[in-house]
Amino acid sequence: MAAPLPKRIIKETERLQSEPVPGISAEPHEENARYFDVKVDGPSGSCYEGGEFQLELFLPDDYPMCPPRIRFLTKIYHPNIDRLGRICLDVLKNNWSPALQIRTILLSIQALLGAPNPEDPLNEAVAKQWKENQPEAIKTAREWTTLYAQKK
Amino acid sequence: MNLLQAAGPLSVSSGEGQSYSGVNEKADLMRQDELAAAEQKNASPSDLGAHDDARALVRLIQCSRCSLPFRMPVTLPCGNTICRACVPQSHEREHISYPDLPGRRQAFRCPFQQCAEEHPVSDCNVDVVLTKLMDSIAEVVAKHASAIERTPAALEAAERWDEGVSLPEKMATQEALAGRLVTTYLLAAEGKLARDAQMDYLPTPEVSGNESAMDVTILSELLETTQREVDCQVCYNLMLDPVTTFCGHTLCRNCLARVLDHSQHCPVCRRGLSIAPSLHSQASNKTLVNLLNGLCPEAVSARAEAVALEEAGGEGGLNTSLFVCTLGFPNQPTFLRIFEPRYRLMLRRCVEGSKEFGMLMYNRYLEPQGDLGPVHFYHYGIMLRIIHSQLLADGTSLIETRGAYRFRVKAHGVMDGYAVGNVERLDDVPLVEEERLEAEETSLPPAAEDDLAGQLTRMSTKDLLALGQDFIVRMQARSANWLQQRVLDIHGLPPDDAAMFPYWFASVLPISDEEKYKLMGTTTVRQRLKITASWIRRIESQRWYQSNSCQIL
Ligand SMILES: [Zn+2]
Ligand SMILES: [Zn+2]
Ligand SMILES: [Zn+2]
Ligand SMILES: [Zn+2]
Repeated sequence: MAAPLPKRIIKETERLQSEPVPGISAEPHEENARYFDVKVDGPSGSCYEGGEFQLELFLPDDYPMCPPRIRFLTKIYHPNIDRLGRICLDVLKNNWSPALQIRTILLSIQALLGAPNPEDPLNEAVAKQWKENQPEAIKTAREWTTLYAQKK
Repeated sequence: MNLLQAAGPLSVSSGEGQSYSGVNEKADLMRQDELAAAEQKNASPSDLGAHDDARALVRLIQCSRCSLPFRMPVTLPCGNTICRACVPQSHEREHISYPDLPGRRQAFRCPFQQCAEEHPVSDCNVDVVLTKLMDSIAEVVAKHASAIERTPAALEAAERWDEGVSLPEKMATQEALAGRLVTTYLLAAEGKLARDAQMDYLPTPEVSGNESAMDVTILSELLETTQREVDCQVCYNLMLDPVTTFCGHTLCRNCLARVLDHSQHCPVCRRGLSIAPSLHSQASNKTLVNLLNGLCPEAVSARAEAVALEEAGGEGGLNTSLFVCTLGFPNQPTFLRIFEPRYRLMLRRCVEGSKEFGMLMYNRYLEPQGDLGPVHFYHYGIMLRIIHSQLLADGTSLIETRGAYRFRVKAHGVMDGYAVGNVERLDDVPLVEEERLEAEETSLPPAAEDDLAGQLTRMSTKDLLALGQDFIVRMQARSANWLQQRVLDIHGLPPDDAAMFPYWFASVLPISDEEKYKLMGTTTVRQRLKITASWIRRIESQRWYQSNSCQIL
């Protein structure tokens, strides 16, 4: 039943560990090499600075023909991330291409933390607040970061 | 850098095992392309030695038009490579109305004799992988060329060795060398070494050992720096049978085929890859194939073996589930109700696995099907992709599918009660061939007035499509019941794409499946449009006599 792990996944995993991206880590599970524990640092200068966000990432059978499945485990106040941690990011959907990789996807997610886009919201309530009272929204995002995203 | 000085006629020095006669004899007999091909076919890996085969190695990256190392290489649709600056003057093409994209109007005649086809200018973009390779090579050479003043050696050049004619040319001696590879490359880069020219290196006993070691060092350095460039961006392995798209991006043939199953866009630059390019007729990137075979034959054969092994458990065997039922077309929806246990099992396996299965039409008159003979199905089928499946309480499944691509059954058998087969994907001919066909057919002398088929043959692709679209508009105006809103909700509006229109038309038109099946084996857009146009002509002639009757065919 269990098919051998494709060379591509092995190489991507190796490179993630041998050439890590600053502020991002991705560790495969021992019992399932397609499942990764991901940690992304909030970008400096953003309202998520100082936080460490945990995500789960799963490579489906048809990866890289289909994008990785990924969601936030850490609670986060962000217009493009919903309560279940699902992320609204084009490269995870229609704009996925097999030439992208785990590394580029995680970088895109980190960039999304640095540049919330309330015009393309997944979380309507947060997006509304972001558009109507940005200072308040940023304040809430900071508070949530302190509350939920502390480094362990 | 005082590289060349005129000297006397060529003389091959013997002794010290430095004679080049072995290579020379071979080279005299064969053109380099043939040499490369012979090397390729050679079952046992035979790489080109850094020192002994320096000339052959450099030739692999010399443009056959200008003899310089490729400058912004462009790999043509036929798989041959030339510099961008060496692409011949283009001209306007005529008699082409489909797809009529900007840039496809301009074309040039391929300078490679084995090809000599017209290549649309827009199909010829800079080859990204080869460009990066050439940059890396130039960098490594530049690094080592600085050592050139300190490594004395001598060389002699050059003799025309193609066509078996020996034209003594100026022989050159060189005072300073950094090994044969760098020397040969630099000569080529300065335009002093014709691609066809052979070289003889005069051995200098006191340094030959060093020189050879230096070549080996340089080559391994090159291999190291270029390693990542020759990895496929989809499978992360060494590219196997690399195919370069019109936009200049290169993947393994298998990887590109898989990508095309999911999307019509280049995975690297996301440009549309036009109509389903039949990868069977897509040429491999010859320069890259020859380079990989020459530089790392062991790695290439190891990769080929691994893939063959993988496919033995898959592709080669009866690995496609087949459902003998009804007709379906690419891009069109098919709804199925599956209740027989053996098909429920098949469906479950498909849903858990590839989410695809092949559907074949029942061959009720047992008409012979090519090599397969009179089997109970028609041998051209449709690969259905499962969009949605719903399991009812009684074990019946309702599934929604969409036609992905056509295939032909090459072999078939039975597994757990349902049919399985080895299938071969059926694609349209490449766009260039489609265009050539249109130009050819539309330029024929006019057909006789009663030659209906002949008249259709001479119509442009655009007009054939318009004929179908006009018919739909007229039928809608008459509220034909096969064009009711309910039908359009399921099948969508008539597509503008001439390649897809016939499939849509056949899906909605109430004629026999045996008649519609004629579309399944087609390999050109025109062939399909001519079939739909002939249906329309027949319907119209019937209507002529039967006024309002809606009985068709
Ligand atoms: Zn050509
Ligand atoms: Zn050239
Ligand atoms: Zn590949
Ligand atoms: Zn591309």
